[in-house]
Amino acid sequence: MADGGLARVLSKQTFDPENFVNKVSQGGEDELDEMQKKIQRLADETALALKRNVYKHYSQFIETAKEISILESEMYQLSHMLTDQKSIISTMLEMSLTSEEVVTPGEMELELPTEDDVQSSLSILLEKVEGCSSMLEAPGRHLVHDGDLLELDPESLSPIRELRAFLLNDVLMLAAWLPHRRGLVKYRFQSLYELDNLAIVNAKDTGSMKNAFKILMFPDTRTFQADSPKAKRQWLDKFEETKKKKTARDKQRKDATTPDRSSITSPLDSSNPFTVDLEPSSPVSSDRPQSVAIEADLLHLPWLQELPEDLDVCIAQRNFEGAVDLIEKANDYLDGCPKSAAIREYRGRIEHRIQQLTEILMKELQISPERSIRGGPRAARRAVTQLIRLGRSAQACELFLKNRSTLSKYSLRQVKIEGNTALYVKKLCELFFNTMAETCQEFIKAFPDHFGCHAAFVVWAKQEINEFLSTFKSQVFVNKTPFAVVSDCVQEMRKCCDQLSDIGVELTFVLDCLMAEDIEKAIQDAGDNQMDAVRHRAMEDNWLPMNFQNVTALQQFENSMINLGIKNIHKYTFGECFTELTQNTIQFTKSYLPFLDAMMTIYSSQHHRLITAAFVDILEAQIRHAQVCARDTKFTKEVV
Amino acid sequence: MMSKPKAQQPATIHKVIMVGSGGVGKSALTLQFMYDEFVEDYEPTKADSYRKKVLLDGDDVQIDILDTAGQEDYAAIRDNYFRSGEGFLCVFSISEQESFQATAEFREQILRVKNDENIPFMLVGNKMDLEDKRQVAVEEAQSRAQQWNVPYVETSAKTRANVDKVFYDLMRLIQRSKEASQNASGVKKPNSGKDKKDKKHRKCIIL
Repeated sequence: MADGGLARVLSKQTFDPENFVNKVSQGGEDELDEMQKKIQRLADETALALKRNVYKHYSQFIETAKEISILESEMYQLSHMLTDQKSIISTMLEMSLTSEEVVTPGEMELELPTEDDVQSSLSILLEKVEGCSSMLEAPGRHLVHDGDLLELDPESLSPIRELRAFLLNDVLMLAAWLPHRRGLVKYRFQSLYELDNLAIVNAKDTGSMKNAFKILMFPDTRTFQADSPKAKRQWLDKFEETKKKKTARDKQRKDATTPDRSSITSPLDSSNPFTVDLEPSSPVSSDRPQSVAIEADLLHLPWLQELPEDLDVCIAQRNFEGAVDLIEKANDYLDGCPKSAAIREYRGRIEHRIQQLTEILMKELQISPERSIRGGPRAARRAVTQLIRLGRSAQACELFLKNRSTLSKYSLRQVKIEGNTALYVKKLCELFFNTMAETCQEFIKAFPDHFGCHAAFVVWAKQEINEFLSTFKSQVFVNKTPFAVVSDCVQEMRKCCDQLSDIGVELTFVLDCLMAEDIEKAIQDAGDNQMDAVRHRAMEDNWLPMNFQNVTALQQFENSMINLGIKNIHKYTFGECFTELTQNTIQFTKSYLPFLDAMMTIYSSQHHRLITAAFVDILEAQIRHAQVCARDTKFTKEVV
Repeated sequence: MMSKPKAQQPATIHKVIMVGSGGVGKSALTLQFMYDEFVEDYEPTKADSYRKKVLLDGDDVQIDILDTAGQEDYAAIRDNYFRSGEGFLCVFSISEQESFQATAEFREQILRVKNDENIPFMLVGNKMDLEDKRQVAVEEAQSRAQQWNVPYVETSAKTRANVDKVFYDLMRLIQRSKEASQNASGVKKPNSGKDKKDKKHRKCIIL
């Protein structure tokens, strides 16, 4: 009770601590004790209450935090959508410019939709469907009808997937539902059928299949189910209507372009269904019908007419060479023709397929987890060659090099780390530079006349080396790696790298440049070590000839010295087990000579000063020690 | 007891395509076969497909009929129809010489698209009930059929004469052609026997 009162007093806004303490201190010691206990209890209670409150609000904290992060992501989406919108607007501006050029008087009469309609319908498409931007580049294209369809298995008639279909004035586009819709984008582009050759079949209801229709486009036969009889009717009618419009448009163009021809083979005379209706020839420009007629003739070669379909077949059969042959043939031919709308339209059809082919070829070069990495350079070369022929040398080059990078990294990872650093590094170097050499040879073979790409190769090689060096450094230039091992590794690497210059790639300078700092440090450290050793030994020197105790030990000593390069060691030995040299000198020799070797191994002109300085300093230190000893009274007595 | 338990949908589907000039009675034949109805009023077909479960020599099979438009102008679209078919009923009207002449061109196009001389194909002279208006002599049609090495049958969608016959005969041709290509590729279909008894016997063994 009293506690509650006290709490109220303490939490009063006008609470004056001094006054309170004054009052309390008047009551004497006991009262103070009592008050202290009370306040203590109050403090504990408050702490507990605070704790409880924190727990209570904890879940709320989390929720709020979540809310904030959601809000954040939404803001991000919003900004993303705004940029998208902006790009759409700019694309549309571009499109409207190009379409104005192509709209011909003949089309004007037939095409009712205004520019605004065209733009709005296209923008809907762009907003909703992912990956369809390329197909919307065709001028004058607009949306006629769209709706949801359920695709059925053509054999068993069981549902396969839901699709959204968009009928445009000359093509049918199918888009799959995106599982996770992102903003307005609900669909992903799936396939595109040219209305020209598309056969639409009304499938009569049987059993489970209702409101269905089929589209036949060799080699595809696809069955779709509409929601209701009305929806299906609408689809069929729209198809019919759109096709008719397109036919009429094409015919009008043709009639206008070839007035003389229509009298010979009248396409309108339908008593004979086999008047093979050729491709849309050309929009009219009435002021020069003569030249246009010639253009139409130019396009009416049988092989040219069949070319788009042949291309499809080649692509489906993965006969990439054949496909590119066809494309080149077509391009050669079209280049010889005057530029006209008809040619442009035909080119558009080919372009669409080139795009497809290019994508497939690029996929060939991309390394995906499900494909074996061991396809090897020869497999890649095939795709690269075709891409180059398609004029995509830059992409081909980039993909090819990326492919090689992955390959190289993969094979480097296969090398097992062994206890022996030098051995491991040697293996790594050999592998890396062999791969590099192979890549180089492949590259020269694959891009024989594309010198622009060679620069890319050099840049790539430099990057690769850079990356490899970071691995190399982490293996070699770390503490405690003996200097001899470091110099061995560096030498190995230089040797491997030098081999590259045999095939025309000189990268040693890059290596030296990148390693300079580390090498300097290694030299410095090794030099310092030597100096320390010299000083250390000097302190313990007793300046006595070495006694090896027996003949064998002496023999061993002589051999080891001969191995180090001191061939006349016999001069300094006497008796059965003595040498005139001191312990200090022997140890110095044994450490200094290998140090010299290692230094000379790692030597490059760049480090000349540093290396010579190290040599001289150490040698001087040792000589100084000898001089000091010579003057030292302790030793002079013994010598005397 | 003897027969293998099958799914609701019989596995085999025979895809038949009706071809011929406009107005020769392709749809009438199809509708008569499908629904036992003769449709008097003429309305040009665009392209309709039908499916029906039938009993062919004791086996449940499905027939998928694609009734094409005689007036289809675009060769490329016709190609797409023809590519999807396994057997063809090439129909003309015995009362219209032009429609008979057109069959040659249909035949040529089918052979070009399917690239197979032995594709299941039947020449069908429809409207045999209109004997008094006959313009195509039986001998004329038969000689063309012989030349192509295909059967010739005259039908009447109106009286239902030979309607079932042409569809069933064509399905048998398709069946035989499928078996031949399966045997060629080394796969033997279990129920390829001609004799019913024999077939049952085989199934027994398989089970």
